Amino acid sequence: MSVSRDEVLRIAQLAELDVDEEALPTLAEQMSRILDYAAQLSAVPANGTVKVFVPGPDAIRFRADAVTPSGLAFGPDEFAPAFKEGFFVVPKLGQFE
Amino acid sequence: MSWETIIGLETHVQLRTKSKMFCGCSTAFGAPPNTQVCPVCLGLPGALPAANGAAIGLAVRGALAFGCTVHPKSVFARKNYFYPDLPKGYQISQFDQPLATNGTLSFLSSERGVVNATIVRLHIEEDAGKSIHDRFAKATAVDLNRSGVPLIEIVGGPDLRSPAEARAYLQTLKQLLEYIGISDCDMEKGSLRVDANVSVRRAGETALSTRTEVKNINSFAFVEKALTVERDRQIALVESGGTVTQQTMLYDSKENSVRSQRSKEESHDYRYFPEPDLPPLVLTPEFIAEQQSELPELPGAKRDRFVASYGLSREHATVVAATRAVAEYFETVAKTSTEPQAAANWVMTEALADAKDHGDQLRVSTAALSQIIGLVKGGTLSNQAAKRVFAEVAAKGGDPRAIAESLGLVQVGDTTVIAGWVTEVLAAHPSEVERYKKGETKLLPFFVGQLMRASKGKADPKLAQRVLEEKLAP
Amino acid sequence: MSDAKAVADRLVKAKRLNALLTPPKDLRKSLNTQIAAARPTGVLYGMPVAVKDNICTLEFTTTCGSRILEGYRSPYDATAVAKLKAAGALIAGKTNCDEFAMGSSTEHSAYGRVLHPLDKTRVSGGSSGGSAALVAAGAVPAALGSETGGSVRQPAAFCGVVGIKPTYGRVSRYGLVAFGSSLDQIGVFGRSVHDAARVLSVISGRDPRDSTCEDRDPLRLPTVPESLQGFVIGLPKEYFPPELDPAVRRACDRAIRIMKELGAAVREVSLPHTPYAVPTYYVIAPAEASSNLARYDGVRYGPRFNGAADLRSLYRSTRGQGFGPEVRRRILLGTYVLSAGYYDAYYRRAQQMRALIAQDFRNVFDRGVDLLFTPTVPSPAFKAGEKLADPIAMYMSDIFTVTANLAGLPAISLPIGRAKGLPLGGQLIGQAFLEDEMIEAAYALERVVPATDEA
Repeated sequence: MSVSRDEVLRIAQLAELDVDEEALPTLAEQMSRILDYAAQLSAVPANGTVKVFVPGPDAIRFRADAVTPSGLAFGPDEFAPAFKEGFFVVPKLGQFE
Repeated sequence: MSWETIIGLETHVQLRTKSKMFCGCSTAFGAPPNTQVCPVCLGLPGALPAANGAAIGLAVRGALAFGCTVHPKSVFARKNYFYPDLPKGYQISQFDQPLATNGTLSFLSSERGVVNATIVRLHIEEDAGKSIHDRFAKATAVDLNRSGVPLIEIVGGPDLRSPAEARAYLQTLKQLLEYIGISDCDMEKGSLRVDANVSVRRAGETALSTRTEVKNINSFAFVEKALTVERDRQIALVESGGTVTQQTMLYDSKENSVRSQRSKEESHDYRYFPEPDLPPLVLTPEFIAEQQSELPELPGAKRDRFVASYGLSREHATVVAATRAVAEYFETVAKTSTEPQAAANWVMTEALADAKDHGDQLRVSTAALSQIIGLVKGGTLSNQAAKRVFAEVAAKGGDPRAIAESLGLVQVGDTTVIAGWVTEVLAAHPSEVERYKKGETKLLPFFVGQLMRASKGKADPKLAQRVLEEKLAP
Repeated sequence: MSDAKAVADRLVKAKRLNALLTPPKDLRKSLNTQIAAARPTGVLYGMPVAVKDNICTLEFTTTCGSRILEGYRSPYDATAVAKLKAAGALIAGKTNCDEFAMGSSTEHSAYGRVLHPLDKTRVSGGSSGGSAALVAAGAVPAALGSETGGSVRQPAAFCGVVGIKPTYGRVSRYGLVAFGSSLDQIGVFGRSVHDAARVLSVISGRDPRDSTCEDRDPLRLPTVPESLQGFVIGLPKEYFPPELDPAVRRACDRAIRIMKELGAAVREVSLPHTPYAVPTYYVIAPAEASSNLARYDGVRYGPRFNGAADLRSLYRSTRGQGFGPEVRRRILLGTYVLSAGYYDAYYRRAQQMRALIAQDFRNVFDRGVDLLFTPTVPSPAFKAGEKLADPIAMYMSDIFTVTANLAGLPAISLPIGRAKGLPLGGQLIGQAFLEDEMIEAAYALERVVPATDEA
């Protein structure tokens, strides 16, 4: 098993995801299988000689420095779950301040 | 036991552009919260970044000003972490292929003289929004106006050896970036932010010790204070047998203390990977050359030129070259008045003092100041009188000569008139004349003073003195 | 000009498929407004086009098939949607899909699975299952979907309709909710090649808002050719393995015979890195997804799943409860492969493998091949629940489609036969930005291939 239960927990914390205690073993097992399957990629030589490939334009296009309309049909006050006095509101971080 | 302090600063500087780094929202400071936002900087589903060409140009200029190697190809990368003012859950920044590396910032250390601090790298990134923790009870208020504003991050090497040096480095950095006009560098407004890496080691050691990061430093003065506090904390810790652990320390300016920013999981795993929504940043040689040509004469070069061309001392040259505005002002006055030393003196004293009280405005025009200098040189105004005229012109404008006349400050330089006063004064003080002729030449200032009284201050004191001397000569 | 009622009625009739997420009442109301405002000079004037629910529309909601965006109304239109409207088309509702486009069966939608139009025990494919089913059921002539690993072509094959995936960078992704950014493209379903191609043409073209969209004019549609004379069609042997479903093989053989009869030169070719395509895809896509889905945190939009005592609880409960199991699994996988210590072994290797896969295609096209022909999917639509136990089993249904996404190439699936009444799809893979050649060949094939005959 390449991924342990504890590692899944650690990754879940990094990804800010709640994971059920009971689900952890299955998740670990599934992830291990998928990663074992993905490990076939080691067929590629480890050195950096093979370049990566990303489709799309070769170079970034520069946008002119101009202020343009927001393109919002309505503002955050209409879609935010908690909005007060013009601000998004979230619970405090707690001891992480 | 002698300790060495090692400091390296990471500076974040907001670039002076009209719109944000990846969208067309305004970057103007002070707008009502969440009014300068759009799908992109709000991190709405489906939104994508589009890069601001002017920001890239300014960043390149910054890199060139530090003498960095500007890389023709660099890559944007995602720095992934969760925080309420980071709308996408990642910041678009640069990681292993940054815009520029390997530059220098030379500054003057009061302890060591000129220090050539390394600029390890300079890269482009977007700013996060603002989290306000004290507006609502038990909640944080988030304003995303600032989210997406273009930043450059300037990473300095561990080359600073004291809190005072850190401050000097930062001030020189600010001056340089203001000079080239890429940022306001205002710590109050947040367009210049600094985090510091600090470690200590026993004098003579060569290896670097564990360092801590100090954050929440909000002014130049606090830079020095915060670093002093942290350095002292580390030294005390090690001297008492403890070890410094790598952590983030938050500076509290009210208490002048630092405290550890404890977090449940110190997960600084940012999982950097190249930004798939942006192709590589490719800079043509023409583009880089254009940025180079937009650079003005840098502060160091300007200062050296002032010393060479105008005969100023290095100290004076440094003062008048402090900002581009003052340097250009000084130079115009120096050329117009053909009295560079006088120009420097006037700028360093009257002009800068007045500017300090009036929002950094140089209120007296270069033409007017040149005139004033000329009037003093020609004997029409005494130094005292000239200062009064300067103050008048600063407050109300106008022609210096006309003002001098209306205030009755024009000195009398007519030898005949002065001779008349001389006669008056000598006649009124025969015993002093007697004593003078007998050898008490120290009475000369007395006669000059009397003559100034008699002329109600209008006499040119230098001329008066000359005529008196002549008249009193045996 | 369409009648709002008629359009809505056709869509509502297909209700049992669970393909449409928009309530009929909202649909009717909106269609009335849209019809009044539609541009009469537009080339798609009055054409109802259904839109996959991971594409932002001002009309209706955009949920991406997820609870984490339940009730979310987008304050802006995707560029593709804006272009449809500018051409006079009607946005005929939002279609059901696998959550955040992650899936191959639409069984991973938080709003229930989509039924196959011809057999309700089977899946319609995914992730764009809803769009495929609606077009197959005749409820709309065309629909937008999205592709990351085959999510337009596979459901098109399962449902017996045409599905086109454009070259990466041909259609703006602005407003397409990101899953795998370097793989995603908006694709089109149509009853015919022409319907799909017309819509693709309208939504294609430059968009300064999408930095990965190429600065090109919209796609120009080719004319229907007389024959396939002059076309060289390659058959990559890795896509015709010995264990290929016999019905699929028969249908493909028939299509190949037809191509030859139409005058095409057909030759066997090889794309040697094909076996690595699925693992490559299942490293890159989840990695990018884990980052793209970080923004769903309950802070700025969408529901919150918890009174939340503190910020971390808000994040974790919103994301833990708002995301379904497949999405959670992929986020964890993606986070893992990007995390410190694993980046080089997985993500970087996958990007390198991707280059080798893309090179395979270039090698073949450089040797005079114009297009490739392959089966779209290894088998017809499977039964609901059949592949849910093992994620890898589900992933393997993408085996013939992911290569085009990895290489950024255009591809089209069209129906080429039936297996016990279930549709079978054959796919043409074209060269980058040469969709016109691909569509031209598809036109020719479509005219002759007996799409509804048993293979």
